[in-house]
Parts: sequence; structure tokens; C-alpha cells
Amino acid sequence: MKSKDRLNAVIDNIEKVIIGKRDIAELSMVAMLSHGHVLLEDVPGVGKTMLVRALAKSVGAEFKRIQFTPDLLPSDVIGVSIYNPKDMEFHFRPGPIMGNIILADEINRTSPKTQSSLLEAMEEASVTIDGVTMPIPKPFFVMATQNPIEYEGTYPLPEAQLDRFLLKVKMGYPSPKEEMEVLSRAQLSSPIEDLEEVISLQEVLELQEEVKKINVDETIRSYIVELTRQTRNDPYVYLGVSPRGSIALMKASQAYAMLKGRDYVTPDDVQYLAKFVFGHRIMLRSEARYDGITTDEITDRILAKTRVPVQRLVGQ
Amino acid sequence: MTSIRKNKWFMAALYILVFFLLAEWLTPVIALTETGHKNLFLIFIGMSLIMALLQVPWWISGTVKTLYVLWFAVYVYTDEVFFTGDAIRFLWDNFTNDFSALLSQDWAGTTDIFRTVLFFALLWMAVYLIHYWVSYRLSIFLFYLLTVVFIAVLDTFSPYTGNTAIIRIMVIGLLLAGLLHLARWLERHHIELSGNKIAAYIIPLVLMVSAAAAFALYLPKSDPIWPDPVPYITSFSDQAGSGPGGEVGRIGYGVDDSQLGGSFIGDDTPVFKATVANGQYWKVESKDIYTTKGWELTENVGDSFLYGNGDFISTDFQPGEPALRDNALVSMEQSFPFVLYPYGTESILMDQNVDYQYDSADQRIETYIEGAEIEPDVYEVAYSEPLYSLTALQAASDEDLAELPAEFDRFKQLPAELPQRVRDLAAEITADADNIYAKTRAIERYFSTAGFEYSQEDIPVPEEDQDYVDQFLFDTKTGYCDNFSTSMVVMLRSLDIPARWVKGFNEGELVDQNGEEEIYQITNNNAHSWVEAYMPGVGWMLFEPTIGFTGASAIDFDVETETDELEDPVMPERPDPLAAEEEEAAADAADSGPSLWSRFEQYTEEHRKAILWSLAGITAAALILFKMRQKWLPAVLIPYYRTRGNNASTFEKAYLRLLKQLDLYGIKRREGQTLKSYASYIDSFFGTHDMTKLTQAYERSVYGGKDETVQWQELKESWENLIKQTSG
Repeated sequence: MKSKDRLNAVIDNIEKVIIGKRDIAELSMVAMLSHGHVLLEDVPGVGKTMLVRALAKSVGAEFKRIQFTPDLLPSDVIGVSIYNPKDMEFHFRPGPIMGNIILADEINRTSPKTQSSLLEAMEEASVTIDGVTMPIPKPFFVMATQNPIEYEGTYPLPEAQLDRFLLKVKMGYPSPKEEMEVLSRAQLSSPIEDLEEVISLQEVLELQEEVKKINVDETIRSYIVELTRQTRNDPYVYLGVSPRGSIALMKASQAYAMLKGRDYVTPDDVQYLAKFVFGHRIMLRSEARYDGITTDEITDRILAKTRVPVQRLVGQ
Repeated sequence: MTSIRKNKWFMAALYILVFFLLAEWLTPVIALTETGHKNLFLIFIGMSLIMALLQVPWWISGTVKTLYVLWFAVYVYTDEVFFTGDAIRFLWDNFTNDFSALLSQDWAGTTDIFRTVLFFALLWMAVYLIHYWVSYRLSIFLFYLLTVVFIAVLDTFSPYTGNTAIIRIMVIGLLLAGLLHLARWLERHHIELSGNKIAAYIIPLVLMVSAAAAFALYLPKSDPIWPDPVPYITSFSDQAGSGPGGEVGRIGYGVDDSQLGGSFIGDDTPVFKATVANGQYWKVESKDIYTTKGWELTENVGDSFLYGNGDFISTDFQPGEPALRDNALVSMEQSFPFVLYPYGTESILMDQNVDYQYDSADQRIETYIEGAEIEPDVYEVAYSEPLYSLTALQAASDEDLAELPAEFDRFKQLPAELPQRVRDLAAEITADADNIYAKTRAIERYFSTAGFEYSQEDIPVPEEDQDYVDQFLFDTKTGYCDNFSTSMVVMLRSLDIPARWVKGFNEGELVDQNGEEEIYQITNNNAHSWVEAYMPGVGWMLFEPTIGFTGASAIDFDVETETDELEDPVMPERPDPLAAEEEEAAADAADSGPSLWSRFEQYTEEHRKAILWSLAGITAAALILFKMRQKWLPAVLIPYYRTRGNNASTFEKAYLRLLKQLDLYGIKRREGQTLKSYASYIDSFFGTHDMTKLTQAYERSVYGGKDETVQWQELKESWENLIKQTSG
């Protein structure tokens, strides 16, 4: 399948730079193809920036980086209109958000006001300044990173904002073997410089359209609904996955199916992605924290007990 | 095929054991059929097995075996040793002879050589089958079990003694089963073992089997717990009559009555057809000595009289009025050397020149032609039913009994061991009766009023120290005609009324009506016994004590008194005569019988135990079958799905069926496990790629909605492979 080969070419390209993180690269592609955004939660220095840059380079996109600091203002994100005394008009100076692929670094370090300016832009795919709405160029893909919540000096993202991210992914440290490989590659030069464009932005847009056509059978839809319903009924869960979460799971599954060269979604796709889609959408009760239960465990438990649909629904 | 089947030594060991097992089959067959040349047959088996082991192409092995069979024929049936011209001509002659015999279905016309060749074909087949079981299925249990059963049956029922054979079979079978288990186990887990490790398994196996055999040989053995079943089983096949000592007999006319009792099973084999004006009891003979167990006949008493065709035969029964004379046409369907005759017989006519010899000792009419017994085929009997005057009957009193001549003594004799309570009962029943006839009728009716039951099942044979009549009257109160008639005779005799026990057939079933005449079919079920008693001043009379039967003497009501007793004297109240009739002839449909439902109820009532047991048996069998469905279901499923259409819905059904089968096999799919991960587990378990292949197609069909891509014909092989794995 052609789309599969193109996507895998991108992922192979990214892998040249980010060693041993093929799954993260895949998930990033999944998010980009389904018009979603990724929340990367990890400590600094594991290659988050490198991943986004490699992705941007592979698809020939403009890469922007916003470093979120406590004193960052919304206008620093979306841009500002400046009065030009020469022609006595306000000229819009676009902020870093007006790019294709954005790295929003340490998003939980900034004030909620600035956070929401980014998140609104993400949701609407446009910005409004002085009553003028300006579309953000397509494709638009934000990869936000946040330090783990436990770190001091953070403004945790509100639930409603978190919901805007399609997937939450943890990068994790590389294995010793991988880390040695990282060292040897970094010795001479930064490999990112040699990366070439594999597919064009236009092709990304086409693939995004193609993803929508991936078949989601009735059985799969019922499976997704059943999974999200289970998160709302779990005794440890304070707030379960919203219908937006169900949509996210379906769309991500479609993209993942395409990545795997299929034109239909299987329960395996849903199961694989459930953890990344549900992770930041489930709010646990404090009892869960006492019992040491994490959202990943909740998801695993639900996956284990929900019957996988293996037959056509009656009446089909 | 994996390594274990390629290990020639291992397979050779298996085939040697198989050879010995087959030899155990051959030995008794050869011994019992008195066939010679056992060694040549064994060579054939050995040769076939060696060729199977070496995987000789079929066209070579087939040719070799055929040549061997032909050579055997030449060697055994002619003087030749090789295929000389004569030998070939001999074979050809036999072939043409047998071929034409077969074409004309003249089975007896085939030669011995043909039968020998058939026997070889059988051996060939047996070798092939066992080769298949050992080489492909790696299983011998069924064959092993059959061998044990075969030898056990032969040992029990034939002159062949399998004492040592059974030990040899046990040893060979256990070794084979153990080795095959090892092979199956290795295959299932995909283990390749070196020769040393195989030996490490085999040595303990051999040691254990030989230790078990040695123990079995030298330990003392107890006698069989069960009696030899052969006499019991042969009692089933005994033809008619209450055979001596048999627990269960087959109903019908028999000669030996010295041991009555025991249950009967129905037998609707036709005996004869009678065309008569109305139904008659057909007398054969009577017996006079009651032995406490049954009936015998006094020897050397009475006279014989010879009559010709159409001569008036003087029996103990005077024919009734000539106006009532009728002719009965009897056509026999079984052969007896005597005549079955109705009451009031005057003469008998046959189209052969026959002598009828009437014996006054047992009232039998035997047929002879020039001194030799013949078995009549069709004959005509002229008869007129005797009519008895009630006045005369009522006139006979006890005093008349005392004056009877000595020749009646043999009809009054009773064994000294007869329990007193039988006599007391007779006296009690007849206490109110003031004449002989009334006494006799009182006893005749006693059974229908005192709670006796008619049945042919669960009727015991009296024990050594038990009296047949006493047992019936006081213990069982359940029985059939022999019980009722014998009891009545004995009770009459205890009152000094001469009586005798009569055997014959009852009227049978009305099968057709031809104007005035009725045609009755009499079968073995109609074999019957009843009572004749002597009424002083009147003569012998027929009485029918068995409940449910309608035989009776015709009475002329020439009494002018108003006695309520006589309002219905011929047909006294008797419980539902049809009930017994049905049992007597269970297979016959009663034309005016009770409704189907009540018959059903009655049937279930009578056979409740049997029905419950068979229901329990069926349920148990069904449960076992259900529990073992994993084993036999594939055998049903494979041909079923093989013939289904090449479409997606067939495939989906087959796939779901496979999931169930795998589940039964024990590889359960967890609730949240996807088909893909389950499939890869299955494949790693069986070492195949079939499940993944099938699952991909299934997912494409169900999740992808692409039914049209499914090619069931191509997937079938994978499917069958997995289904077969699950039944192993």
C-alpha cells in the first residue's frame, strides 16, 4: 500500500535521529494524520525536541519552537499587531504558533492564560487578534511537552485543556545499548542536519484525507464506545473519558491502521492506542493514588475485561 | 513429519509389535476355521508391514502382494511350486469359474481359492488400517481394545482358549501404546529427541510392562465372579417352550413342560391360519403328572386308535348338535407331526392318505403315512362345539366323584410335597359351592377376584424346595397361562375333582372375514394352556382360569329357576380382557382396543423401570458425547464445511467454529484478547502459520467489510489442519 510506504519512510527517517523510539515516531505520525496533537510527558533531555525537528524536516514543514516560561504572554504565542507610524496602520506580526509543526516546550511552566491561548489555537486551527481571525497554515501539528506533574513551579493543565491533545506519550530513557548508539552518532555531528525531506506537506494533507476513509466497522465502534463507557464506571475514576475521547480513539485507530497498511481498523489498533488516548483523559480519585493505581493500569484492566468483538453484529 | 517418524529403528520396533498383535488375530481365526498354512499367512502380514515401513511405492507393494497371494493359491492348491504353465491355467480356470459364479450370484459355487483370496484381501486391509493408525494417527488404543474384546469373546464362546494369548496381547499392546504416546507427545511439543533420550524413556516402559506382566502371571488368580454367560445367552436362542432351567424363554408351543416358570418374551412368528365360523381353542395334548415344578405325562397308559381321513374320531368330548357342525380349514405355517383340533372334533380330512393316531393318554392326534411321522400342511376339521346341560352339571355331587372308576386316578394325583395351604385355599374358595360344577367355577373365577395379575415378565422359576403352584398362589400372584392353569388343576385335584392340564393355542387374531367365515392368524404368542375337568355324569369340560382369556364351554341353560348366579354365566366378570390379550400379542394392533393414550400410559406403567433406565442411559450417553465433543466434532465438521459454498459466510461460520473447538481443546481466548494475538499464540502452540492466515482473512472480512476477498477454498486446508490438531 502506497500510504503505508510513505508513512514508513517518514518514520524510518525519524529513526535515523531518534534511536529506539520507533513507537513514539509512529504515534506522532498517527496524531498528525488524524489532525491531532501530542502531549509528551517527560524529563528534559530525552530527545523530545529532536523528535519534533526530525519530523518537521522529514515532511518539509516549518518548525517552530515555543519555550513556555512563567512570564510568557499570549501575544508571544500567537503574535501581535504593531502600529506602523509610516502608514499609520497596525501590522500583524505572527507569533511562533503560525507554523506547521510546533514544539511547545514545558507547557505547564506558563500561566493558564498563556496555556489557553495555545490550546485554543490548537482546537480552532486559527487565531483571532483584534477581531480578525487568521487561519493557521495546514497541516498544523503541535507537540507539547510537559514536565511530570510532581515537579515544582508548574501550572497543571486543566482537564478541558488536556482533552485537546489526541495522545499523551511518554518517551522514556533509551536502553543502555541505544544510548551508546546515541553517543556514537552524536560524536561527529548532529545527524539532524543531514535529514532530508521524505514527503511533502501536500502529501501529508492528502494522507490526512485518506485516513478519514479508513473503514471503522460497527463492531469496532461498539468496542470503542464500550471501552470509554467502562472508564466512566470504574470505581477508581473520578472523571472518565469524554465522547471527544471516543472520537479521538477512533481517529487515532484509523491513522494507525493506515500506518500498518490496512484500510480497516482492527481491535488490535484500538487496544494499542487506548493507553495513549485515555491516559490524560482519566481523572483518578484520591483512593486510586493511595492504592498506587495509575491511569495506565485502569486502561489495562478495562482492556482485559472488555469482550473483544469477534463476530459481526446481528442484523448486519 | 517430524523426526520421530523418520527414526527407522523406532518405527521398526512399532511394526514388530504390530506384527505380533496381528498374529494374535490370525491365530484363533486359523485355528477355528481349521485353515492350514498359518506361517504363509504370517509371512504375508510381515511382508506387508515391512513394505509399509520402508514406504515402498504402492505399485510395487501391490504387485508383490498380489503375486504372493497367487503363488499361495498355486502352492497350496496344486502340486506346483512356481508359476508354471499348468499353474497359470489352474488360476485362470478358477478365475473364470468364480467370476461366472459371482455374476450369477451363486455364492456356493465359488471355489476355495476365491475364499482364500478374500481372506488375503481382508488381511491386506487390516495391515493397511493398522499401518495407518500407527504411522499417521500414532494411536493404537482402539485396535488394542478390539483385540482384547475379540480374544475374550472367542475364549468365551468358542473352543479357542486365549489364556496365554491375552497376556501376550496385554504386553504387546501396552508397549505399543506407550511408544506411540511418546511419539505423539514429541510431535505435539515439537521436540526432537536423540536416540539416547528415546531409550531413556523406553527402558523404564519396557521394565514396567514386563514387571506388570510378571506380577500378573505369578499372582494367584481368583475364580471368575460372574457365571459363564454362555448358558444364559444360549437360553435366549432356545426355540419355543419353557425350556429347562432357562431364566427367559421365548413364547411358543414346546414339548418339555417339566420345569415351568420364568419370563417370556413375545414372538409373533406365525404358526398357522384357521378359517372357522368363530374363534376356537386349538388343543394339542394334555398332561397329567404334576411334579411341583411342572408337568409330565404318565407313561404306558391309555390306548391308541387309528383313524383314516374323514373317519369319526372319538375324543373325550362329544360333539354338540349336528346342526351346529362346522368345518375349520387349518393351514400350517410351522410344522408339527400332529393335528391341532378344536373342541368337539368329529373328523379330519387331508388331501394325503394319512393315518390319524389318537392317544387317549394325552389326547394327541398324531399323523402318519405308512408308519412314518408326517407334518400336515393343510387340513380340514369337522367339529361341533360341545354343549353342556346346566341341569346335568348341577346334579353332580361329591358322592359321584367317589364312584369314578380307577382310570381317573391319574387325574387326581398330587405330589406329597404339595403344601397344605394350597389344599386349604381350595377348600376355602369352594366352601359355599354345593356341587362339583359350582366348585370348579369358583376356582376358575377365583383368580380374577383375588387380585392376581397377568404378566410375562419377572416371573420366577420355583426354587429347589418351592412348589410352582404355591409360589404363584401365595408369593407372586403374577403370572401367565401356565401359572393359572396349573394352579387350577392342582386345586381341583386337591378337592378330588379329576382335572388335567391342556396345551394348545388360543383363538389368535382375527385378520380377515370372508362371509360367514372368519380367518384367524395364530402366532407363537397364542401358545396357551388351560384346564379340563371331569364333571361326573357330563364328561370332560374346558375351563379357562387365566385372566384376560375368553375360552369357555358352551352351557345349555336348561334350568327353570331364578338364580342370579346364572345371569351371566358364560362370561363372568373379568378384568379388562384386552389388557392381557395385548401382552400376549404385543405386536398385534387391537382393532377395538383402548385409545392410544391409555395404551401408552399402560405401557409406561408396565415398563417404568425399563423406561427410566433407558432414559438415564440415553442421558448419560448424551452427556458423555457432549463432554467428548472435542474429540468427535471435527470428524463431523470437516466434511460439513468441506461441502459448503465458497463464500465469506461459510468461512466466518467455520472460523467461529474453530474458535469454539480451540476453546474446547483447552486454549482459551481471554475476554479482552484480540483475534490476532490469540492467533499468534495458537500458531506458536501448534507450530503452524495457519491460524494467523485464517485470522487475517477473517479480520479483513468482518472488520474490513471485505467479504468478497475471502477465498474459502484456499483457506480450507489451514482450517482443516487446525481442526484436526484440536481433536488429537
